[in-house]
Amino acid sequence: MEELAAEVVVKGYALIGYGAAAIGPGVGIGIIVGNAVQAMARQPEAAGMVRTTMFLGIAFTEALALIGFVLFFLV
Amino acid sequence: MIVAAESCDIEGGIVCTPSNVNELFVFKPIFYIGEIGISRTHFLIIFAALLVVIFLFAGLRKKSVVPSKIQSVVESLVTLIREDIAMNVIGKGGEAYVPYLLSLFMFILVGNLFEVTPLINFPITSRIAIPLLLSLITYVLFLVAGIRKQGKEYFTHLIWPPGLPVALKPLVGLIEFASTLIVRPVSLAVRLFANLVAGHLMLSLLLVSGYFFIYQNGVWPVPGKIPIGVAWYTFGLAIYGFEIVVSILQAYIFTLLSAVYIQTSLHPEH
Repeated sequence: MEELAAEVVVKGYALIGYGAAAIGPGVGIGIIVGNAVQAMARQPEAAGMVRTTMFLGIAFTEALALIGFVLFFLV
Repeated sequence: MIVAAESCDIEGGIVCTPSNVNELFVFKPIFYIGEIGISRTHFLIIFAALLVVIFLFAGLRKKSVVPSKIQSVVESLVTLIREDIAMNVIGKGGEAYVPYLLSLFMFILVGNLFEVTPLINFPITSRIAIPLLLSLITYVLFLVAGIRKQGKEYFTHLIWPPGLPVALKPLVGLIEFASTLIVRPVSLAVRLFANLVAGHLMLSLLLVSGYFFIYQNGVWPVPGKIPIGVAWYTFGLAIYGFEIVVSILQAYIFTLLSAVYIQTSLHPEH
C-alpha cells in the first residue's frame, strides 16, 4: 500500500511536469500559426510557401511537448 | 484493454486503471522463429509495405494520357512529393531523392492510417523501432550526401558555419554538433512515435471508457453512468476525425524534414 501511494505521488508530479512542458510549445504554436494566418491573408499568392514553413515550425515546436508526454510514461 | 476493463471490479467505484500502458502496444507472439516471437505487428508491417507496392503498381500499370481514377490519385501524390517537397525544398539535385521520399511518405502514411482503420486499429509507427529505423536511414542518407558533395570539409562546415569569429568557435561548435548529429535523428523519430502513441492512447482510452460506462461485465450499470459513457464516446469520435488529420500531417512532416536535412547537406550556405 505504501509503495502504491508513493507511485501515485510520483505519477502526480510527472503529470504536473508534463503540464509545464506543454505551456511553452502551446504558446509557440499559437504564435507560429497566428503569424502564418496573417501572412497568408496579406499575401494569398504566397500561401503555399507559408504553409510549408508553418508546418516545419509547428513540428519543431511540438516536439518539446511530445518529449514531455513520452517522459511521463517513462517515470 | 477491453479485457482489462472486463476484469475490473465494478463495486469499487468508477475509478478503474489499466495495469500497464504496454498492453495497448505489445501483442502476444503468435508463433516463434527461433528466439523471435512473430506477433501481429510484424504482419502489419509487411502488410503496409505490400499495400504501398500494390497501390503504386496498380496506379502506374497502364500509363494513359487520360488517367484512370487510381492513376490520377498516384499522380497527384507523386506531384506532391516531387514539386512541393523535392523541388521546392531541396532545389537543384532534388530529383535524385524523389523515389526515397515517395516511398518514405507512402509507408509512413499507410502505417499511420492503420490507427484509424477499422479492424486493425493499431498504428505500426507507434512502436519506436519503425520511426527510429526510418530516421536512421535519413540520417545516413544526409551524411552521405554531404560527404559526397563537399568531401572532408563537410564536417567542419557542419560544426562551424563559414565566416564564424574564432572566439565563438567552441560554443557554436558544441551547439551545432549536438543539434545536427544527435538531436536531429532523435527528434525526427520521437516526433512521429510520440504523436502516434498519444493518438492511439487517447482513442483507446476514450472509446473503451465509453464502452465501459455504458455496458460492463455483461450487465447494464446504473442508469446514471450512461450519459457519461455517451459523452466519452462522442468525444472519442471527434478525436477520431482529428487523428486522421494528424496521421496525414505527420507523414508529410517526416518527409518534409528529411528533405530539409538533405538540403542542408547539399547546400551548406543556407
